[in-house]
Amino acid sequence: MELEVDKNDLKAAGAELFVDGGRRGILINGWSIETRRHSILNSSTLLKWEQKLDTSHLPEMVFGENTLILKHLSTGTKIHFNAFDALRGWKQEALPPVEVPAAAKWKFRSKPSQQVILDYDYTFTTPYCGSGTIEIDKDPNEEEISKETSDIHWEDCKDHIDLVALASKEPILFYDEVVLYEDELADNGVSLLTVKVRVMPSSWFLLLRFWLRVDGVLLRLRETRMHCVFGGSTNPIILQESCWRESTFQALSAKGHPFDSGAYGDPSFISQKLPIIMHKTQKLVISS
Amino acid sequence: MLLGFEPGVYLWRIIWKIKRRGIGEGEGEGEGEGEGEGEGEGIAEMSSELDRQIEQLKRCEALKESEVKALCLKAMEILVEESNVQRVDAPVTICGDIHGQFYDMKELFKVGGDCPNTNYLFLGDFVDRGFYSVETFLLLLALKVRYPDRITLIRGNHESRQITQVYGFYDECLRKYGSVNVWRYCTDIFDYLSLSALIENKIFSVHGGLSPAISTLDQIRTIDRKQEVPHDGAMCDLLWSDPEDIVDGWGLSPRGAGFLFGGSVVSSFNHSNNIDYICRAHQLVMEGYKWMFNNQIVTVWSAPNYCYRCGNVAAILELDGNLNKQFRVFEAAPQESRGTPAKKPAPDYFL
Repeated sequence: MELEVDKNDLKAAGAELFVDGGRRGILINGWSIETRRHSILNSSTLLKWEQKLDTSHLPEMVFGENTLILKHLSTGTKIHFNAFDALRGWKQEALPPVEVPAAAKWKFRSKPSQQVILDYDYTFTTPYCGSGTIEIDKDPNEEEISKETSDIHWEDCKDHIDLVALASKEPILFYDEVVLYEDELADNGVSLLTVKVRVMPSSWFLLLRFWLRVDGVLLRLRETRMHCVFGGSTNPIILQESCWRESTFQALSAKGHPFDSGAYGDPSFISQKLPIIMHKTQKLVISS
Repeated sequence: MLLGFEPGVYLWRIIWKIKRRGIGEGEGEGEGEGEGEGEGEGIAEMSSELDRQIEQLKRCEALKESEVKALCLKAMEILVEESNVQRVDAPVTICGDIHGQFYDMKELFKVGGDCPNTNYLFLGDFVDRGFYSVETFLLLLALKVRYPDRITLIRGNHESRQITQVYGFYDECLRKYGSVNVWRYCTDIFDYLSLSALIENKIFSVHGGLSPAISTLDQIRTIDRKQEVPHDGAMCDLLWSDPEDIVDGWGLSPRGAGFLFGGSVVSSFNHSNNIDYICRAHQLVMEGYKWMFNNQIVTVWSAPNYCYRCGNVAAILELDGNLNKQFRVFEAAPQESRGTPAKKPAPDYFL
């Protein structure tokens, strides 16, 4: 996605944009923030993923090379988002399948002989809220830089992301949204995992969103927001808020909301109607 | 919410009125643009009017509501005569899902040749998801009316009142015409689309796949197809089911509705109906087409860069007079040929 950015705004923020093939990004305040965007996986790569994930079913559209990477350059702290880790989360959570409305009628259909009932979670619901590592470049002079990685540790906290500050219209220096995976549930709704990011002179902010609509049955929204304010502090802090919301169509219509799926196209407009079933806030202090 | 229109009733009511009064009058829909095409109109005149409409649609300009109505009525007269297993002669070019990607369908015609020079079979899912379902479907329908023997359209699961209300076509009609009349005319026509095609008695073509309720083509022929796509039963299966590697016989989707069929089901169907292979659409394939079960079934997908973001190629299957196969793979139309400039999204102050 192209976005016209005022060069003066970039200069004032000491930021620099870069584009390199499928990569686009920004260097700002010691951070490198980039997105990569590619096609869906081809059949042979999909097969490899199925083997690695030990499954015979993956979403119809896996944007396996799409990613958002936020790297704090001096410490090697890297927050990133990718379909593979998200699908690993799906595989582990392994929720029971959700029946569509037509299923009730189907129970009375005459069964073909040797019918196999598949029972994987076709909604691809994932608890994924991002991946993180600390990468320390051992020898920056070598072409193939060997890296030592260790996991990062988020700690629970009571802070909240400052939405008021985020609502202020300071210039957006970099913005992008990438799809990680998507499935049409064979025309029974939508399952969509996306991540979007915006970078302003004072902070970066991202939203990872898993959105599920099983037509006539269920709405599920699992969102993770991360916010990092640039500042004088030598130890940047990333605040992370995860919020899971969920409701059945039945419960919504009982509250007077529409029952038709057409009314639930854009999760942004309806998230407030869905009751919260999980909320947690965590922070990550990046120390050198 | 499924609007409770009786399938076909809307158009039948109109046909009945035309029989009494002639097209373009009555119904009181306030279109105010009746063309007044009377009876006794010459065939040549009709063809030239159709040719004009086809040229207009090829520029991705939709027809007037009254023209859509008249076109649908003519199409209905043709489609009602078609069999549930429509016979198609070779040579023929088979196309999978289009999904309202009008400019990509123009690429398809560039690769496959224009109708009527090329004989076409489209396997359904003309509408929904893309930006130009109206223009896409009307162009195909106008070609069908103009060259009934050179283009065959069969029904996909998106050619349905219920599905189009969720996945785009209904909203598009409302946006482009300010009313849902065009959606009604088109969805009424959907009920008349054939369910499958049989090429030279050797290649069975269907949108989705097989049904445990169907073992012979004659069983398909007995279906009363003039209705909204049902939620279960043979007609539903033909439009909805998928082949599946991990089952051999029949599988039930984890959704609790929707059949999956394995290799042995395909073998026995092909054997008992004396056909070479099945050609179907319905599922996105990154490479445009995909054979399964030892070349007994092939999926053809004709919407490149599906939903304008998948980056997949599309394919059509050309069969010559001897049924020799050639897949023609093509990419999405270049941005500059789409008539509209690439959208630059405004910065999104999402929270």
